[in-house]
Amino acid sequence: MAPRPCAVLGIGQTKYKRRRDDVTLDGLVREAALRALEDAGATFDDIDAIVIGKAPDALEGVMMPLLSLCDALGAIGKPIHRVHTAGSVGASTAISAVNLVESGMYDTVLTVAYEKQSEGNATWALSGGKSGGQGAGGTFAPWIRNYIARSKAPEHIGWMVAVKDRLNALKNEYAHLHLPDISVEKVRESPMLWDPLHFLESCPSSDGAAAMVLGNDDIAKKSGRPPAWVISHAKRTEFGQFPGRDTVRPQAGVECSEALYRKAGITNPREQIDCAELYVPFSWYEPMWLEGHLIAEEGEGWKMTDAGDTELGGSFPVNMSGGVLSSNPIGASGMIRCLEAANQVRGTAGEYQVPGAKISIGHAYGGAAQYYAMWMVSSELNPEL
Amino acid sequence: MPQLHDVDYTLEYPYTRTTGPVIGPFLTGLRDGRILGQRCGDRVLCPPMEFDPDTFATLEPDLVEVGPGGVVENWTWVAEPSAKHPFDRPFGFAFIKLDGADTALVHAVDTGGDPEAISTGMRVQAQFREERHGSVADVYFVPEADAADQVIEPGDEPVTITEHLISLRINEPLYPHRARFAQGLLDGKIIGQRSPVTGKVYVPGRGYDNMSRVLMSESDEVEVSDVGTVVAFTELNPVQYYGQTETEPYVRCSILFDGTDQPVIGIDIRDMTVDEMRVGMRMRCIWRDPEDRSVEDIDNRFGNVPESVYVRFEPTGEPDVPADELKEHSW
Repeated sequence: MAPRPCAVLGIGQTKYKRRRDDVTLDGLVREAALRALEDAGATFDDIDAIVIGKAPDALEGVMMPLLSLCDALGAIGKPIHRVHTAGSVGASTAISAVNLVESGMYDTVLTVAYEKQSEGNATWALSGGKSGGQGAGGTFAPWIRNYIARSKAPEHIGWMVAVKDRLNALKNEYAHLHLPDISVEKVRESPMLWDPLHFLESCPSSDGAAAMVLGNDDIAKKSGRPPAWVISHAKRTEFGQFPGRDTVRPQAGVECSEALYRKAGITNPREQIDCAELYVPFSWYEPMWLEGHLIAEEGEGWKMTDAGDTELGGSFPVNMSGGVLSSNPIGASGMIRCLEAANQVRGTAGEYQVPGAKISIGHAYGGAAQYYAMWMVSSELNPEL
Repeated sequence: MPQLHDVDYTLEYPYTRTTGPVIGPFLTGLRDGRILGQRCGDRVLCPPMEFDPDTFATLEPDLVEVGPGGVVENWTWVAEPSAKHPFDRPFGFAFIKLDGADTALVHAVDTGGDPEAISTGMRVQAQFREERHGSVADVYFVPEADAADQVIEPGDEPVTITEHLISLRINEPLYPHRARFAQGLLDGKIIGQRSPVTGKVYVPGRGYDNMSRVLMSESDEVEVSDVGTVVAFTELNPVQYYGQTETEPYVRCSILFDGTDQPVIGIDIRDMTVDEMRVGMRMRCIWRDPEDRSVEDIDNRFGNVPESVYVRFEPTGEPDVPADELKEHSW
């Protein structure tokens, strides 16, 4: 039996901030959920199931957060599921929610992802609570160095991405960082954190939540809201360490995108996809994922960045919303990528809208670049490619 | 073989909580010697909730004082309190419906350690602690007849953020393969495990070959060279988090030891700068004197070749291995 078509019918985000000191964790998560419901023209009564996601519990020290979030998300008497795949969790959560609609099990599903990073410390948590932890930046920096060596990319590529995403963020009211004075010089002069990554080439630490209401084709018709049809999705996993692992171009990432494109009939992603929200927590991951997800040939991704192709207004815009470099409530960051991809094809992205965007992708990766989750959305259920 | 240490450490972090518009006034009230409930329709909820538990509607803050007396609706007895319990003698945890509230608060009842002195239906009264921080532990309950009159001085600022030192003690023996790896380091040897299926050598071994999904045991162990090739590196500027003791930048690298198929990650280099490092560079381990070696930091998850066994890694001076040959060892 073919899967039921599934569409994004409502999206909701909180303002992303260093510290949301006006709301509890529950209140924060609920804020995004209520906005998504409002956008979908729905209430908690219309929801059949809830799927939530966040990064490791150690980030806030709240074990099994779904226990208290039941109240905040109107889940009493309904199924609630919690998904966990480290940094990719936001996208994995969205896809898990899609599965529930596609299976025919539920008509309308609410999915929410969040992090309240200010209540703990991510580097502490990722270091197992011990001294000498390297955090995410320290883990990825050597692989970035190897990418640079392999691709012969000039050093300004990372600085360009850092500037581009922050300029995009100025058009997004929800973005955490609004840095109107950002420049290549400022990025280059900012402190070196994990060579070659400067402070301004790294993501911030944010509080925030993102939510979506997903429905099947009948619900989409009834809602009258612009749908973003989820026309393809894929998840892949690999070991963090094994003999033969290429950390610069992980096999699971390549296979995840192959599966994503195959299901949608995409044969030339660069031409057939209008724009992408890629998980870029450190500047250099833009060219690395352009290559690692087969949008550019190996060694060619940085040239797209260099030529301005990935700018808003370029031939293949990436991270129109400002991306993870501008807002990073870790557990939500992957869902924001999926949500912003939907925002584009619904034509509701406002100042950072890519004109006429018909097909877009949302992407996230997690762990030691070992979990991948990607989805493709379109303004049409069966778009012409 | 001497007995190696157990893994024994405490994972702890001073997490904060934002109290929000309803819980904040509740905690502020406790600090100031008052218990507050939240109006919800014609009911009063204590503990207060931010959302109507029946309709899921947002509840605008509307707090009303309840108690200090109330009735035990049900209870259980804690015969052996732990360090984190509110009393160091046996006590009861009870559902207490405070006067003026429609729901029960779970809280601690001190009967002086007497389990016979608590019962369903009994009246209890709130007592506030001398030191109060805007925490649910600012208050406790006693049988009504035992309650003392208290005069509480209110605090200044409302409670908006609370801090909680949450900790977990981990105590477990080292896994046998980790213990043999650690013992090897004390003996100045790097021990790996050779897959019986593929012949690939993992260091340190995990006790299994994750690619072929077979167990690896002592009979699969091999001593590998302490000379190897740098496959990846960066310079860390330590993030200053709770428990971090590193303050100065240093180089962290991964080394593929000769005769192995997977690099050892997280090797720290203190006497070279990032500009002096190269992928492909050949390095050798200069071990500490045997009596100076320690494997205290090795647990079942972290700790590969820790600094506590080596003085430094130094370049051998051999020609570099071409980076292309290291593509599949790039961690």
